[in-house]
Amino acid sequence: MLVPLRYNWRSLFVRKTSTLLTVLGIAATVMTVGGVLALQQGFARLYSDNGRDDVAVFLRPGATSEGLSMFSRELAQKIVKTIPAIATGPDGQPLASMECFLAMRLFKKNEGGETNVSIRGVQPATFALRGDGFRIIEGQAFTPGNDEVVVGRRLVDRIENCGVGDVLQINTTPMRVVGIFECDGPFESEIWGDFERLKSALELFGPNRVVAQLRPGTDVEALNTALESSKETPAEVQTEREYLAGQTEILSAVLIFLGSFLGLIMGIAAVFTATNTMLAAVAGRTHEIGILLSNGFRPLPIFVSFLLESAFLGLLGGAVGCVLLLPLNGIETGTSNFATFTEVAFGFRITTEVLVTAVAFSLGLGLLGGAWPAWRASRLKPAVALRRV
Amino acid sequence: MPLLRLIPRNLLRHKLRSLLTIGSLVVALFLLVTLRSLITTLSSSVEVAGSRRLVVQSAVSLFVDLPLNYQARIEKVEGVEKTCKWQWFGAYYQDESNQFGQFATDSDTLLDIYPEMEVVDGSFEAFQKNRTGAFIGKRLADDYGWKLGDTVPLIGTLFPHPDGPDEPWTFQVEAIYEPTVQPFNDRIFFFHWEYFERTLENSPTGTPGVGTFVLQTEQGVDNTAVMAAVDALFENGPQRVQTTTEAQFQQQFISMLGNIPFFITMIGGAVLAAILLACVNTMLMAGREQTHDVGILKALGFPDNSMALLLVAQSLFLCVVGGGLGVFLAYGAQPGIAGALASVFPGYHVKPETLILGAVVTVLLGIVAGFAPAFQATRMRCVDALAGKD
Repeated sequence: MLVPLRYNWRSLFVRKTSTLLTVLGIAATVMTVGGVLALQQGFARLYSDNGRDDVAVFLRPGATSEGLSMFSRELAQKIVKTIPAIATGPDGQPLASMECFLAMRLFKKNEGGETNVSIRGVQPATFALRGDGFRIIEGQAFTPGNDEVVVGRRLVDRIENCGVGDVLQINTTPMRVVGIFECDGPFESEIWGDFERLKSALELFGPNRVVAQLRPGTDVEALNTALESSKETPAEVQTEREYLAGQTEILSAVLIFLGSFLGLIMGIAAVFTATNTMLAAVAGRTHEIGILLSNGFRPLPIFVSFLLESAFLGLLGGAVGCVLLLPLNGIETGTSNFATFTEVAFGFRITTEVLVTAVAFSLGLGLLGGAWPAWRASRLKPAVALRRV
Repeated sequence: MPLLRLIPRNLLRHKLRSLLTIGSLVVALFLLVTLRSLITTLSSSVEVAGSRRLVVQSAVSLFVDLPLNYQARIEKVEGVEKTCKWQWFGAYYQDESNQFGQFATDSDTLLDIYPEMEVVDGSFEAFQKNRTGAFIGKRLADDYGWKLGDTVPLIGTLFPHPDGPDEPWTFQVEAIYEPTVQPFNDRIFFFHWEYFERTLENSPTGTPGVGTFVLQTEQGVDNTAVMAAVDALFENGPQRVQTTTEAQFQQQFISMLGNIPFFITMIGGAVLAAILLACVNTMLMAGREQTHDVGILKALGFPDNSMALLLVAQSLFLCVVGGGLGVFLAYGAQPGIAGALASVFPGYHVKPETLILGAVVTVLLGIVAGFAPAFQATRMRCVDALAGKD
């Protein structure tokens, strides 16, 4: 026969201060771990949720990011023109664009200091390829061949000289900002301009990568295998989704490590606190335990009963932690993406994974903290326990 | 004061509880000191910056090199005494995870510009004479077990060897340095610009550019004027440059981390809040159990605040033991953490200020946590306390 759960639930509220302090302590722990995870989720999802499966990214074999990739113009043109898997537009031209890329030094608006911003030169086919994914929300698109750029929405308030009408100094060439664009994913933290103009202004050797719309049903892996060993057009191909997901690996790993490390260390302290609270609860209720035992409750149900009480304590902490975590959702921040060293703006994201991890973690803390006190409670002798008031 | 003897007695009443509280404190203070040290380490690179050193880099991007012929033009600028080229080599030893800073540099001016490096093994002249020689940090030599005269093969990633991407660049260790100031990086691998340039000259990538020029200005010269003069020299290209003090140069890397230092501080705050709650909890429990004692002491005629002091003293004792151990542990773990972080985050060290901060936090925790039950004990009536009413 199990001890009614109501007994434990109501007992928690007899010692209000103690329960409150323990719950808040667990909540602080859960919040910290959840906050770090929400940061990781916000960053990783920005990339992985917004990559397209029908767009291919061609890089130099062995390059892990576009910053390290480089093609000669001839090779990039050959890729655009000769690979049959690349779809063609209504005008019969391939839906592909050579892109040049650089992490450019710019000044932050508010905090001051420098940061690196991605600047990308694109060809006209880009707009057909991006379709509705790329929207000008203020001003207009740049005119190919002109010294004009458009700026991602997220940069406007963060970086100097990024409003419509401002002039950005690209090495020795001044370029006018003519529009602000919106585009799901990390592109919103970038500056886009005409490929030819940016390539010459930045004195780049050639395009860094080629992006192309794939014909439906293209097997990207097979294409990659074919191109890697190709003499004519050696390149590494992946879908845009894979490429973007790959860009987050380093920072994600760092954040997950940090979250686990903090969880472990702060978790130990939280378990100790929960144990203290539960020990005091058991000590204070020795008489009650005596009554339970003499009423015929076996030691095992008593053990389970106190363990569950501690689990409640943990879950309460988890719930409070989650509630305190919610306002973080959407708060915007920025950090360097360690693949290209450029700053990306993104928001904290309290995803289901974050909440589930937080609740499971708090439950674990409660169970671990309750195990020893519950065991002590179940070992009490009824006659001895009854005598204690 | 005979009451003092009650402190250990009371704490030993619940050995397990005292032990667990101390355990939480150890963990929390360890974490606080370590997190704080991460932040101070970040900013410490700025502190060792030389006041006579300026850094010239591309104004456009961290990833854009400067033409070699800039050096001669910079040297002519008034106030510039010596210059030295730096290029990040980005190779690895045996396995890609073995990364450390390798730089191609000018061996004739390096030591003059960086007097912080003291040659402790081998000789700098031997390094200068051997075209493929290397001048490396003591820590680096220890980490990989390299000795004087050893040949070190490095696989280039940014600059693959012209004979093939798997062909290593080879260097001989000719001199080893130790920094005379902390926290100057002791894991750098320097080699000759000559060797670097000549090897790449006829490769498809061609002659390499220069990452940064480091200048030493003449004693007493106005750095700002030199910086402006160098910037003006290349205002119209081909590559615009940005000349900064060494401190500003280091600052840009910190600035790149965005809000990360702020987040670390926030996490520290959460740790502090959690441990404070835990201590208050423990002390309230202790206070409740000692209610009866309060009554007895009051009945015996001890003043109201003596019991309060006793409770604060217990709390202080717990915190000082636990927190002290935690701070000590963070200090002791310094070499381990520094070793683990060496490749990504070199120079981790715990500053004396951080240790003091840890001690202050510990004492404050003890006082604040003891205050809650102490306050209750002071207000309690003797009769109620004896009756054991909360």
